[in-house]
Amino acid sequence: MKIRRVVWIAFIYFVLIVFALIYLMPFIRSIVASFMTWEQASRYPPEWIPNPLTFDNYVKLMRLKLFGRWIINSALYAGIIVAGNVLFTSMAGFAFARLRFVGRDALFSALQALMMIPGFVTLVPNYIIIYSLGLVDNILGLAILGIVNVSSIFLMRQYFLSLPEEVFEAARLDGCGPIKMFFYIAFPLAKPAVGAVAVYQFLGAWNAFLGPLIFLRSPENFTLPVGLSFAFQRAMWVEYTPLIAGSLVASLPTIVMFVVLNKYLIRGIAITGGKG
Amino acid sequence: MARVVLKNVTKKFGRVTAVDRLSLEVKDGEFVVLLGPSGCGKTTTLRLIAGLEKPDEGEIWIGDKLVNDVDPAKRDVAMVFQSYALYPHMTVYGNIEFPLRMAGVPKEERRKKVLEVAKLLGIDELLDRKPSQLSGGQQQRVALARALVRNPKVFLMDEPLSNLDAKLRVKMRFELKKLQRKLGITTIYVTHDQVEAMTMADRIAVMNKGRLQQYGTPEEIFFKPANVFVAGFVGSPPMNFVRGRIERREDSIYFVSEYFSLRLLSVYSELLGREVIMGFRPQHVGVSPAAREGFVEGRVLGLEKLGIETYAHLYYGDLEIVVKIPETIRVKGDTIYWRPKEDKVYFFDPRSEKLIKVGVRG
Repeated sequence: MKIRRVVWIAFIYFVLIVFALIYLMPFIRSIVASFMTWEQASRYPPEWIPNPLTFDNYVKLMRLKLFGRWIINSALYAGIIVAGNVLFTSMAGFAFARLRFVGRDALFSALQALMMIPGFVTLVPNYIIIYSLGLVDNILGLAILGIVNVSSIFLMRQYFLSLPEEVFEAARLDGCGPIKMFFYIAFPLAKPAVGAVAVYQFLGAWNAFLGPLIFLRSPENFTLPVGLSFAFQRAMWVEYTPLIAGSLVASLPTIVMFVVLNKYLIRGIAITGGKG
Repeated sequence: MARVVLKNVTKKFGRVTAVDRLSLEVKDGEFVVLLGPSGCGKTTTLRLIAGLEKPDEGEIWIGDKLVNDVDPAKRDVAMVFQSYALYPHMTVYGNIEFPLRMAGVPKEERRKKVLEVAKLLGIDELLDRKPSQLSGGQQQRVALARALVRNPKVFLMDEPLSNLDAKLRVKMRFELKKLQRKLGITTIYVTHDQVEAMTMADRIAVMNKGRLQQYGTPEEIFFKPANVFVAGFVGSPPMNFVRGRIERREDSIYFVSEYFSLRLLSVYSELLGREVIMGFRPQHVGVSPAAREGFVEGRVLGLEKLGIETYAHLYYGDLEIVVKIPETIRVKGDTIYWRPKEDKVYFFDPRSEKLIKVGVRG
């Protein structure tokens, strides 16, 4: 009996490790390749030990005049998106979950339907709107588009629904209108959900590529992902190894964030999976 | 402080009528308990008074004011919820202070009042703790303190003791009642626990299916139940009910059912020929181990020993009669003889289920 159990667990771990390796492979490959010359990195079959070991790719990265600027742009973009989502979607989620008003459920269904529309469909209309606002090639214009996110509203709503209704009723009897109730009771209680929304939105904004690529034009306004992809594009080819090094540097904050805040991410999933 | 009056209040949720034409008057300073099984509309009634629900019909008065369209915050009522509904992110101090903060009371005064009420309830040592660090009984006190601190006109409580363990519940019952007497605040208290209702209330309103069944003092409810529902709901174990007929046989009057017949006093002659439901409490039965004139034979199905009291369940086919066995009697074998005490018998109309006659002393 015991032996069978051990064998079973060993088998499970074996499968898990194999899958983990498959998922990790591109990442490991990137780390290794960032220390290789392009000549070695592009060899087939692939080699796994950098020879010669070179820091050239990172040096090239540091030499980019706009590298710091792109990091700041990305941070600014992600910052606005996170702040906007935290504030507005928690308010909207609270209203949908706890306030009674005419058309509430219809409105919420309409919003949910929006989640089914692929982002590409709205790309052109969004561009036209931002263009007529004179905000093309401006981080602000780009950020406005992501300042409120339907899935964040959904997540917040589900979280507020999961809180006991009596707490809100008690607040009502204690003299809270909807606004006081939001700021004194609902928002402070929603920290876990707010944390999840913040982390998701930060990851999304920090890694965003298509949006910034379309809405930003001048190199000094680029975010990090877009900037890097342009920086190493030569006339006929792409200099991949410094690009890989750049991507690794760019993903550093998101990796750190995941390690620190992954309980919020998991909680976010748990919330959405909860009560309908 | 104020009286509360409900006039023909109706509340529907979709097709379900939760409260049906309810009229009720709670006098100034009175402690009224709304008693009934779950789903009888008692909590909805409380929420209507609080303003958390709006009535579909009828009027709700608090003091001299019609409050149908008054926001809950402005009704000057405080409510204690079954789950206490403390604000988990605030300390005990913050919780008690909150209603005062919302009312714009200056900080110094808030502090004074919070300390005062905390002392009254014996929680002044806990003010820095969060609700999650408190026991159930302590949370209960914090909820009470939060409700008391702004000196409301009316105090509403929704099963506030049901989450406490049995010992603490008994203790809190008396403390609550003492506190209410001391402060003299009009209190409406919802519970499904008849013992709570009997021990605490000045008056009890028994509700079933959204309707008021009876409104009276605990004694009236217990000794003069208005109908079969009230009679069966109040008292433990519940009252025995037997359907039958009042008939004359030879020279005596008998209650005749399909299970047994029982000779009655002649005062019941006014009921002659009527179909009735006879009701009597298990405690109000004479029991004999041997056959006796006028006693009914019963086959013991089982004995329910509750320490000090023992109840016998007697078998009559689809009818089960429960009787209390006096301490002096030891049940041997599986047969005993019993008869209800004449002055503690109730007769109800089988159709309307209303009380038609209370037993008289013979």
